[in-house]
Amino acid sequence: MANKSKRKSNKRKNRAGPRKLIGGLILVALLTLTGYLYHLNYLINLRFDDDTWAIPSRVYARPLELYPGLKLSAESLQYELDLSIYQRVNLTPQPGQYRILEAAIELHTEAFEFSDQTEPAHQIRVLFNANEIVRIIDLATTRRLDLLRLPPVVIGSYYPQNGEDRALLSVSQIPQALIKILLAVEDKKFYTHFGINPKSIARALLANLKAGKTVQGGSTLTQQLAKNLFLTPEKSIWRKINEAFLALLLELRFDKNTILTAYINEVFLLQQKNISIHGFALGSQALFKQSIGNLTTEKLALLVAMVKGPSRYNPITHPAAALERRNLVLRVSRDHRIIDQAEYQRLIKLPLATVNRLPGVNRYPAYLDLVKRQLNSSYSASELAAKGMRIFTPFDPLLQRNLERGLKSGLARFDQPDLQVAAVIADYLNGDIQALVGDRQVDYPGFNRAVLAQRAIGSLIKPLLLYGLLEDGKTLATIVDDKPIRIRLSDNKIWQPQNFDRKVHGQMSLYQAFIRSYNLPFVHLGVNGGLETLANNLKQINLLKRDVIYPSLLLGTSEMSAFEVTQMFQVIANRGYFSPLTTIRQVSDQHNRILDRIPLASYKLFDQSSMLQVQRAMIGVSEEGTARYLAQRFQHQTLAGKTGTTNDARDSWFAGFTQRELTVVWLGKDDNTPINLTGSSGALRVWADIMQKQGFSAFKLDRDDSLEWRFINRFDGGLSKQGCTNSVLLPFPQHLVPDVKSRCE
Amino acid sequence: MPARYQTASIASERSIGPVAKLHRQAISAISQNHYPQAIEYLQRAIKIEPRNAFSWHYLAQTYWHTKQYGSCLEMIKRSISYSSKLDDLERANKALISQCGEA
Repeated sequence: MANKSKRKSNKRKNRAGPRKLIGGLILVALLTLTGYLYHLNYLINLRFDDDTWAIPSRVYARPLELYPGLKLSAESLQYELDLSIYQRVNLTPQPGQYRILEAAIELHTEAFEFSDQTEPAHQIRVLFNANEIVRIIDLATTRRLDLLRLPPVVIGSYYPQNGEDRALLSVSQIPQALIKILLAVEDKKFYTHFGINPKSIARALLANLKAGKTVQGGSTLTQQLAKNLFLTPEKSIWRKINEAFLALLLELRFDKNTILTAYINEVFLLQQKNISIHGFALGSQALFKQSIGNLTTEKLALLVAMVKGPSRYNPITHPAAALERRNLVLRVSRDHRIIDQAEYQRLIKLPLATVNRLPGVNRYPAYLDLVKRQLNSSYSASELAAKGMRIFTPFDPLLQRNLERGLKSGLARFDQPDLQVAAVIADYLNGDIQALVGDRQVDYPGFNRAVLAQRAIGSLIKPLLLYGLLEDGKTLATIVDDKPIRIRLSDNKIWQPQNFDRKVHGQMSLYQAFIRSYNLPFVHLGVNGGLETLANNLKQINLLKRDVIYPSLLLGTSEMSAFEVTQMFQVIANRGYFSPLTTIRQVSDQHNRILDRIPLASYKLFDQSSMLQVQRAMIGVSEEGTARYLAQRFQHQTLAGKTGTTNDARDSWFAGFTQRELTVVWLGKDDNTPINLTGSSGALRVWADIMQKQGFSAFKLDRDDSLEWRFINRFDGGLSKQGCTNSVLLPFPQHLVPDVKSRCE
Repeated sequence: MPARYQTASIASERSIGPVAKLHRQAISAISQNHYPQAIEYLQRAIKIEPRNAFSWHYLAQTYWHTKQYGSCLEMIKRSISYSSKLDDLERANKALISQCGEA
């Protein structure tokens, strides 16, 4: 009995063993599944938090203000529009389009949210007379406009490390036609399935088995989104399982509109060098130069067509395949009654109408580099690459174009392929950096010489040195001696500076010594007090780089970048008013909330009357001094400038200004070997080529009632008369007007 | 705090075209205490016509209202540097400079 009972108990134990095992296995499987789903859910949480996508920050140029009287040619406006997202058409322009008429351009702007107000969309006609806007007509009201601010051009972006670029659409911004076409082609049952569509999967499986290869996909939009967001493109059962579970979880967590919007923002469409373009919004801008809201049906159909194979159906590289696929999408659209037969017949005859090539990525690398450097004190590189900030700069694409053209023709003068260049254009009246180049290959994103190359500046130091001398009581008529000098330095070495021509020229006025850029008179004056004043003045504009001051500072042995030289001349051109140079005017977040404003700043650091005398001397340089080439080339147009050459002609500089812009050009070699060009024979010629391309307003000296103008003899400094040999008209503080008369010859 | 400075356009102002429009918008923005907007209008005006003494003066007014007295003084200096024989602007600049200076 006992044995029987024992056997029964053993039997039960034997039966309970497998059950326990099965139960245990089920438990483990359930735990594994829970862990697996928890992991997938964690992945979804990571992507669908507040910052679902890394959005590159965009850098904007200055908005172009159009008004009657503005010096702007139709060709320049067209260039600006082409850089922007405007598309040229022959018929009446729709939003984002323009057309060229005789002496006029008609354009339909798009609304743009500036920090102070939203500029609404306008339909306007801009009328030109020669190179000037004469009238702007609002075509909707037929009224004349006093002023119109165009949306600024995007000049670059700071991309995330994965190289993904996109522009986001909210659900309300997605065109209904796009949704209809997309769902008709990619997922007809989108609104009724729960993430996967078993029927569709079975149908695809059957078709693939029949064909012996993958000919049909059964993925829903949700599965495609799951794949795009979380998985690799590999084809395996495991990936399909992951994809299905992720799709189910996405459907559990989010409503259909959220999933659809995510898909439309995520879908990969184009590759542009190392940048991948995602989302229909950016795809539309890149391919058609139009906002997606303005696309016509056949263009929307093309975007949808590309989803199946962004490379295979790329309309730029494979137009025939893209056209065929677009027309297939249009046929599906007709079959789903999104368009009627007549519309279908009309649309399939239309060309693809995309751009011929994708717009360049970051065409202005030197400028963007400087923007990033100036932003880096406030924002990290990762923030810039992901937060979708809007950075508004004073960059002027038209000035940049002229700068690049001028550099190209200027550099072609010299048969030196390794001759390098840095150039900066600034609005000296407010500190805006408007254009910048850091390499002779202007779009090469390498070493930014305009900011980083520290080079001796030679005689470019003289205007600030002259200012100090004038402040110390000298005048432009003060007699100076151009004679040899020996200076014992603190280390007991002897410094024996020379003129560039290695000659001495005797006595002359300070003005004459300045325009000829003689070194010796300035060293004589410098060692008698001018050096300390110069150092103090450099310190005031943050350009004194060493605590120990050497006499050679008087001849510009201190090193500066072209950017720093621009800052030094900004304060000279602006009569002593210092405005810190900036490439940033405003930063806002992706929701247009302002993060930073850099307001117009102006500090009166130096005496205006003395600076006006310096400016007069700089006009002399361009009229009859080392830059007299300018007077020959631009007759009757006053310019102010200064040449700079360093030892053995290793650096060639020119800094000069017109009524509005200050332009600095440096030429040299990276290995600092001689280039055999002086400031006059090198940088000055390039500078003149830039001015020629640009067209400019001649410089006018501001009036200053505290100054009296007198003719003096440029050699003996005595009062002279108009028409006398060697006489020159110069300004003097009233109490320092020369009282000795010179003989008129 | 100094007595309230009366924001007003200057009678002798003869600006025309886009700058005049921006001045009007700026003065209106100041009167509604929309100072950042006023600054934006005036900076646009200065970008178009940087040597317009009135733009700098109105910018100084705006800074006075926002209690940025240092900037106010600097903007008046620029305004003065561009004005010549505009008596009422000179008077307005002098009045404002004393207000900003006292603050």
